[in-house]
Amino acid sequence: MHPILGSIRRLAIYLLAWLLIGLLLSVGLGVRNGNWLTAVAFFVPLGVVFALISQSAWYVCRIFPLVRSRAWSVVAAQILAAVFASAIWVAAAGAWARALEVVGLESAGVALYQNQRALLFVIGALLFWLVAIFFYLLIAFDASKDAERANVELSLLAREAELKALRAQIDPHFIFNSLHSISSLTATDPAAARRMCLLLADFLRETLRLGGSQQIPLSEELALADRFLAIEQVRLGQRLVVSRETGPGAATCLVPPLLLQPLVENAINHGVAQLVEGGTIRMAAARTGSTLTITLENPCDPDRQRTRGVGLGLQLLRKRLINQYGASDAVYAQEQEGQFRVEVRIPAVPALAEASAGKTEAPA
Amino acid sequence: MGSPALPMRVIVVDDEELARALLRELLAGHPDVEIVAECGNGFEAVKAVTEKKPDLLLLDVQMPKLDGFDVLELVGTDVPVIFTTAYDQYAIKAFQVHAVDYLLKPFGAERLAEALARARARVGARETLPAKALVSDARKARAPIERILIRDKADVHVIPVAKIDYIESQDDYVSLKVGDRQLLKEQTLSELEQQLDPGRFVRIHRRYLLNVSRLARIEQSVTDSRVAVLQDGSELPISRSGYAKLREIL
Repeated sequence: MHPILGSIRRLAIYLLAWLLIGLLLSVGLGVRNGNWLTAVAFFVPLGVVFALISQSAWYVCRIFPLVRSRAWSVVAAQILAAVFASAIWVAAAGAWARALEVVGLESAGVALYQNQRALLFVIGALLFWLVAIFFYLLIAFDASKDAERANVELSLLAREAELKALRAQIDPHFIFNSLHSISSLTATDPAAARRMCLLLADFLRETLRLGGSQQIPLSEELALADRFLAIEQVRLGQRLVVSRETGPGAATCLVPPLLLQPLVENAINHGVAQLVEGGTIRMAAARTGSTLTITLENPCDPDRQRTRGVGLGLQLLRKRLINQYGASDAVYAQEQEGQFRVEVRIPAVPALAEASAGKTEAPA
Repeated sequence: MGSPALPMRVIVVDDEELARALLRELLAGHPDVEIVAECGNGFEAVKAVTEKKPDLLLLDVQMPKLDGFDVLELVGTDVPVIFTTAYDQYAIKAFQVHAVDYLLKPFGAERLAEALARARARVGARETLPAKALVSDARKARAPIERILIRDKADVHVIPVAKIDYIESQDDYVSLKVGDRQLLKEQTLSELEQQLDPGRFVRIHRRYLLNVSRLARIEQSVTDSRVAVLQDGSELPISRSGYAKLREIL
């Protein structure tokens, strides 16, 4: 698409610019030789004509782009094109001068033209190059804009992929196992089966909803963890004990969604569920000054057979927090004497406006 | 249809009470099936299988400490097994150990009935399969083991490999030296060597597999032979090829 001929508005602006150039030429070249009117009548239409001729520079610029062509081929092409364009222009000027004479406007037109043919040719070539430079600039500008757009698109894609990955983090086996528990309860305790159905539905819906938001209050993340643990409680029975502590000011702090979820899942799958006697999962959130600290502790079997893929959740979390806060030491994990402990430290940002705005859309 | 005169004696193994309750409920629909034991973990399962000698095991895969495959390796007999799990990634392994069937949770009465029919056919055919060898075979493809399971009659010991000083071959058995304990396991040294991390356990001699982290120094004894001196002062012979392997690692 031609950048100027392709749009009427741009063409109008462009022609107006050339009208001005024509007037300048009239002043520069015409005033010395004849009267004002002749000069204007001669140069202004010629300016418009050259405006159109010089548009051919666009194609030359496209065929010989600065970045990918050799310097000499660009120079040669532009000189040739300028000579060509200017020659046509000078010829047009001659024809115009004679036409003016036929109309009988002024015989000085021809004189004007005769006197300054060489000068006109040089001016034509220079103007052609001016246009060529303008097009090269335009191409470079477009290229940088394209690159920027591609960049933005790329980061959008990356973010979308991250969200998808987050959603995919819902462990399907968790769902299958829960359904198996429900299936069992339908015969022995239908009311409990129904409760579990609702818990599971709530958990899934909340996970999908929170996964789509940028930041959520810690209280929502904790509520999600509670639902998850309530479901696992049905499955694991007395083997699972949960304790939770939330310090003052911590619950309203904003956190990335599903921050805790992989940690809680790990605490179950690689911790309590791997112990014959089970154990207690301790969650604590505390705000000290500008730092929000969330800790999760669970017992684990120190002699367990370590499977591949363990630690993936932690790795992903580290990466997310680096992206979000630029802090590479936000996640600290440690296993000691059968006790696994994860500590997450992020800046404490209390939800103010967001909290009240979020309330309206959050279902009760 | 030659339905067996004796009921099929089944042991149900699952660490989740609700999963066991479901099997109890579904199996109640099969009058020819008798549940002789219910186990909540692998240790109980090994004990129950040893004592009750069931016709069929309904075995969960993911359980604490000892998973379903560990149980199978430990009981090491030809008990037909139906695995029950929410994870489909063990299906190939279950096939390798000749499981009768592989039930994916959640499953219902029909799918269980199908599996039981297969089990009856297997019991009827008196098919004997060296399950232990098969399990070991299946294990070879896996990453190096981190722990060794030893059955002592109905009891099970789980030994983390890091706690082993060295392993000595004794005919068809291996003797594990763990601190001041000696534990016997029915397995050949070569088989065990293949399962362990070759960077941590080196066959220094035809009869010895050494945990290299226990090695204090190597002493030259008479002429050609060398001796490994361990941190606790005990000494093991090193063969020529064993010395070459050791040098490669150290």
